[in-house]
Amino acid sequence: MKYKKGWSLLLCTGLLLAAAGCGSSGNNGNGNKEAAEATKAPASAAATTAPTEDTAKPELKSLNLWSKDDYNTYPLAKVIEEKTGYKVKYEMLPADKAMDKLNLLISSGEPYDVITISGEKAVYTDYAKMGALVDLTPLIEEYGPNIKASISEASFDAVKVDGKIFAIPNSSSQFAGADLMIRQDWLDKLGLKTPTTLDEFTEVLKAFKEKDPGGNGSSGAPMSIDGGLATTANITGAFGIGTSWNKLDGKLVPPPLHPGFKEYLTYMADLYKQGLLDKEFAVNKDATLKEKFTSGKIGVIQLPWYDIPSVADALNANFPDAKFVYLPALKGKDGQMGLGMSGGFDRLTFIPKSAKHPEDAIKWINAKLDKDTFKLIAIGEEGKHHTYKDGIYSPILPLFTDERGNASNYLTGIDEKLYPIYWQARVQKDARLFAGFSYLNNELPAEARIADPLALAPSLPEYSKNNASLNQMINDFAVKVIVGEESPDAVDAFAEKYKAAGGEASYKEVNDWYAASGK
Amino acid sequence: MTKRTKGDLVLDTAVYFFLILLGVIMLLPLINVLSKAVSAEWAITSGKVGILPVGFQLDTMKEVISSSTFIRAFGVSVGVTVVGTIISILMTALTAYPLSKRLPGIPFIMVLFIFTMLFSGGLIPNYLLMRQLHLINNLWVLILPGMISVFNLLVIKSYYESLPEALEESARIDGAKTYTILFRIILPLSMPVIATIALFYAVGFWNDYFGPMIYINDTALKTLQLYLQDVVMDASAANAVNKSVDDLMNMSPEGIRAATVVASTVPILFVYPFLQKYFIKGVLIGSVKG
Repeated sequence: MKYKKGWSLLLCTGLLLAAAGCGSSGNNGNGNKEAAEATKAPASAAATTAPTEDTAKPELKSLNLWSKDDYNTYPLAKVIEEKTGYKVKYEMLPADKAMDKLNLLISSGEPYDVITISGEKAVYTDYAKMGALVDLTPLIEEYGPNIKASISEASFDAVKVDGKIFAIPNSSSQFAGADLMIRQDWLDKLGLKTPTTLDEFTEVLKAFKEKDPGGNGSSGAPMSIDGGLATTANITGAFGIGTSWNKLDGKLVPPPLHPGFKEYLTYMADLYKQGLLDKEFAVNKDATLKEKFTSGKIGVIQLPWYDIPSVADALNANFPDAKFVYLPALKGKDGQMGLGMSGGFDRLTFIPKSAKHPEDAIKWINAKLDKDTFKLIAIGEEGKHHTYKDGIYSPILPLFTDERGNASNYLTGIDEKLYPIYWQARVQKDARLFAGFSYLNNELPAEARIADPLALAPSLPEYSKNNASLNQMINDFAVKVIVGEESPDAVDAFAEKYKAAGGEASYKEVNDWYAASGK
Repeated sequence: MTKRTKGDLVLDTAVYFFLILLGVIMLLPLINVLSKAVSAEWAITSGKVGILPVGFQLDTMKEVISSSTFIRAFGVSVGVTVVGTIISILMTALTAYPLSKRLPGIPFIMVLFIFTMLFSGGLIPNYLLMRQLHLINNLWVLILPGMISVFNLLVIKSYYESLPEALEESARIDGAKTYTILFRIILPLSMPVIATIALFYAVGFWNDYFGPMIYINDTALKTLQLYLQDVVMDASAANAVNKSVDDLMNMSPEGIRAATVVASTVPILFVYPFLQKYFIKGVLIGSVKG
């Protein structure tokens, strides 16, 4: 078996060399070495000397994030191959510790032509600074007319490192992702209106607790949150801290330095004390939270719209008459409100220095961004995968899910104008999910949504370095205050600790950029 | 057997009770996963599934088992386990034989073997070495580098040493050469230890997760453990942080994950009872006499 493989390798090289027309007079050892090189990128030899482009498009090697479907056998791979003329061999990173594996592959110089990772800029910036990536600026200039037409200057600016473009960004569709869900049937039972201000919301919680519309016995708190997400969507908005960095007097301010943070914590701690917030929320995980909501123990839950179908299934199996709706953005005492929006990038695609065919990789990416091809990749054929009516693309199920459900994994750069429209077809896979999405993003007035001011920020090294640990700090502190272990007055002392732990440097960096960007 | 006193009876009852309790505690999580694998998704989401399945269905199980990725990963794992075990056990048994003899130089060679138990080159150098050997993305990388486990080698070697030397001498007088002695006399006598070590190797190859994770990038060559790890870890909170909303919409529900765990654990569970008798006897004999 071992020997057979060796022989076939040699045979392969022989054929390739013959095809390329360059004779190799190397000795045996040399031949072996080339054999291995050739199997890694079978057509590399052919590419350099081939007369016409059509016959000599090399096979590209693409590294992607993990997906439960094999990229190579998913129907879309074939479509892309037919449209671009490039055969691509896809490999994927593990689901767990993907970045560790990527570090290993990058540092050992594996010859991938295209690597696509999640939109987190820290890893990408490191690679760019280390000199591990190919500068795409000249390549895009030469081979990427579609790339230039599809992706805005602002997005490119956000991924520039030292003034050079090292990645093709897939900017995220901007939308509000999560809000508080409330049991409509509980409200109806008690004859209450949907709350629109924070005060009304508190009253509803009190009524839920006292009158117990769910019939749980009076001890149960009507609302719970995830212990890892102690800054609750919507409620934070009523205190002016709807996103992780909020505008205040012309500056961007993180929660610990924002006066609204203390008010928010005071409010939540009060809910906790009154028994309106689940006593065990600190140990809640996402699954426990959904468990409590779908088994009818609580009536208010923070839920992202993409989780609506599974939660609705479970809830309605237990309570056929149960209905739940999103709350509108609750108004605080000064009329402040808002749901934080996501932004930034879904994916970054780059070409490592070790790539064998950087030019072809860019040509491939460019070909995928051709208007028709891109549409075909994103949402398939009209009448087969989707229908088009009144400016809205709707999926045809189940074929859309079977052949395009995984399409976002294949995108390397998007048409920033059209993709957000195409993308909504994805959200329409389930009517309940679409209703939730649509309520938050189409029905609520625009001022109820707060865009993430850092969505298009360039790579900010201090910020990226400390962001995760600082957010953890904020969450831990918020939990402590809410359960009453610390008083809300401790915020000032906490702010000092936050600054010392890197918050100060992030603040300076973010605001230097913010001032310079002139927004 | 002497007659048991009342005290013995009480003690036995207590011991059995304790052990059964311990066994149940260990079994419960497994049963819970098994129940989730055959329960309706709504029941899992609302936390109704404990020991018994709620809303019994087999569709999730079917979906997992019929997934082409699962079947392929299963095949790869079975292949690596079978081929790896045969090669490993053969090479270990062969290497142990000369090392069990009192020949000049043997202590030095033993030191070399034991050295590798204590020191290794580290991850990146190992990876680079495998790359130079063109073993990346090659299933042999899961078998060849760890072909001989020094620990298993020592177990077999000490077992050989415990066999009476007179057996070999008499065979030699009858005209047998070294290989005849090894294959006709030594190995048949060592079957308990060989079976045990074979099981060690088989379970090791089957459960190997780290090797495939590091060395295998090609999707078509991923082993079952790798597939399982991916499916289970994909949903973990730590990995959800950087996910785009499309990934989140495509995430496998809990039921699928439970079914994948069941489908990849059950095959090796079936192997255990058949080899269990060798397993216990072998280790015991090897250790007592060695």
